Amino acid sequence: MSDIPRPPAVGAVERAMLRWLQEHGDRGVFTTDAALIVRSWNRWLAAATGVSTERILGQRLFDVFPSLAERGFDQHYAEALSGQVKVLSHSLHRFILPATEKGEQMPQRGQVGPLVEDERVVGTITIVEDVSERVFTERELRARIATAERARGMAEAASRVKDEFLATLSHEIRTPLNAVLGWTRILRSRDFDKATAERAVEVIDRNASAQLTLISDMLDMARISTGKVRLDIMDVDLSTIVMAAIDVVRPAADAKDVRLITELAPRLPPVGGDRDRLLQIVWNLLSNAVKFTDAGGRVTVAVNAQDRLVRLSVADTGQGIAPEFRSQVFERFKQADASSARRHGGLGLGLALVRELVELHGGSVGVESAGLGQGSMFTVTLPARPGAADSSRIAPRPGATVEPGTLGGVRILIVEDDRDAREIIVRSVTDVGASVTAVSSAAEALALLREGSATDVVVTDLGMPGDDGYAFLRELRKLPFDRGGTVPAIAVTAYATGEDRKRALQEGFVAHVGKPFAPLTLISTIARAVTNGRG
Amino acid sequence: MNLTDPQKDALVELLNIGFGRAGAALSKLTGQRILLEVPEVAVLPVAQLDASLGRLASDKVASVHQVFSGPVGGDALLILDPVAASTLKELLTDEAALPLELDASSREVLTEVGNILLNACIGTFGNLLRVPVSFSVPDLDVASLRSVMERMIASGDAMRYALVVTAGFRLREASVTGYVVIVLTVQSLTRLLIAVEQWVSREENA
Repeated sequence: MSDIPRPPAVGAVERAMLRWLQEHGDRGVFTTDAALIVRSWNRWLAAATGVSTERILGQRLFDVFPSLAERGFDQHYAEALSGQVKVLSHSLHRFILPATEKGEQMPQRGQVGPLVEDERVVGTITIVEDVSERVFTERELRARIATAERARGMAEAASRVKDEFLATLSHEIRTPLNAVLGWTRILRSRDFDKATAERAVEVIDRNASAQLTLISDMLDMARISTGKVRLDIMDVDLSTIVMAAIDVVRPAADAKDVRLITELAPRLPPVGGDRDRLLQIVWNLLSNAVKFTDAGGRVTVAVNAQDRLVRLSVADTGQGIAPEFRSQVFERFKQADASSARRHGGLGLGLALVRELVELHGGSVGVESAGLGQGSMFTVTLPARPGAADSSRIAPRPGATVEPGTLGGVRILIVEDDRDAREIIVRSVTDVGASVTAVSSAAEALALLREGSATDVVVTDLGMPGDDGYAFLRELRKLPFDRGGTVPAIAVTAYATGEDRKRALQEGFVAHVGKPFAPLTLISTIARAVTNGRG
Repeated sequence: MNLTDPQKDALVELLNIGFGRAGAALSKLTGQRILLEVPEVAVLPVAQLDASLGRLASDKVASVHQVFSGPVGGDALLILDPVAASTLKELLTDEAALPLELDASSREVLTEVGNILLNACIGTFGNLLRVPVSFSVPDLDVASLRSVMERMIASGDAMRYALVVTAGFRLREASVTGYVVIVLTVQSLTRLLIAVEQWVSREENA
């Protein structure tokens, strides 16, 4: 019966609880008396601050931590002693007691409050919590939200680009169709004169071509982005490509009163490339330059070589590029002004195509512009063909130099059975000063030569009734030297595949020009054949 | 119970002293100039608070709550709608606020702001009445205004009144409006108003 335990002495449980908090609490707790002398300091605080309980007990709080007073905590303690509870947030205070780990201050929050006994404030209690984990989590959360916001922004931008593109596309496809349909209706009315008819055909042709370019660009872009473009690589003289491209762009430049200037360095090494794609590159840059240059302006095309690189630059005096847009000019569907009030048509694909094609050739393309209204310069750099740096092959023969674009005094024998085709060739070369003899069959040509008719170059069709171009070349080579047996021969033909070209060159033609050809392609090919001599 | 005009004027003046102290404390804390203004004071039965604060139409409000006790006791609250709460936090800390439910930092800062402001107001009354007042640790709740008020009504059996003080924070050329609501028993309110009148006559005689 005497086993009933005695109740603990008054205050024993409370003292035990305080000891427990002293040893095991997961936060810092300390108390002071009304004079701010530290009366308790738990194990957590000793570990966090490095100030042991033994050292601080009996000391004035601000003597041990002078920084507390410097940071205005004396006010908080004064208010606590007047009975107020003060909460101290991490965001506004960062920390309460200095406690560093690995050189970093522990983020803390806490509160300071009065200790009240018999309605009298006898001291203060301070609670300090480590909020590192929370601060870290919130920082992560903020970062994630920022990332999500950025992703959303990018998705919105992409969707905006697509919307703008679709709007531009429908506009760009519709515009030439309007012209084509309008003039077609006029022609169908059977109430027009010759001048109107010519104008109609010209407009329809121009607009249909524009639309073809548009669609070709889109298809090319699609092919490139699916990796389906194949390049037919051969040695190419970039200056002939430039001349051909200029020929295509000149009408548009003339119509706008924009001067086209070429600066082609002599003895350019060839680049390895696909002629059609290189032409597309140069043409795109040129037409772009003309498009963005106002009347009276200049577009200068230059080609030069340096350090096994061939550099093509297209500089204009046009509207230039705002610095903030410069990084985007080669992006698809990007035009500086995508608004409906924009002055310039197009899909914004041309320069994107240029970059893709140049990069497919192992080259690079860049743009410089001093800003809006300051013109711009696009530069394409392509590697020179290894081993082809021997420029003697294309060095001009003394005394027979032909300026690019002119064939002054060059004697050309043209063999072409089709009358229209013959006329186009004749017109192309006589316009630039060549003296031309044109016949419709191999037999006629051979007869003329045997009679002693002198010529510097022969331009012949391949597919002809009777002797075809190949048979003609074999017969030609049987003629003696002074009867033209060694003159260079150029094939101009609708057999325009890579295979056809290869065969023509194997059979002994110095060049192969596919139909339909740009007049300047033919002219520069002839010029090259003549300057390079006989083979 | 309606306030007479002199009572109202005197309360505004007293509260302005408390708000001025709170503004000074916040300015010191954040290193920027913060003004706290008391444009309006009203007294009404707690049951009518919901209708009176109808301007806080949003579903939920942030409320910092502190109980004070002594000869004059009651509940003190700072009530902010969520937009005002987030704006205030951003202005004070230069840190983007997230929704309050997710943002412990925001809740903590608002708790401290409420703590400073409520301590200042109640402390001013305590000084005026020359009675000691003790405070509970403040807590922050994000809930509907109705549920906040129902807690006030349920916690006291006596008829209780609310002193509603509009609190305008002005900082960085922005302003944020909140409400300080002090819920008192009839006895406490009566005692307070008598003390206010005595203060007025003391001031007039001084």
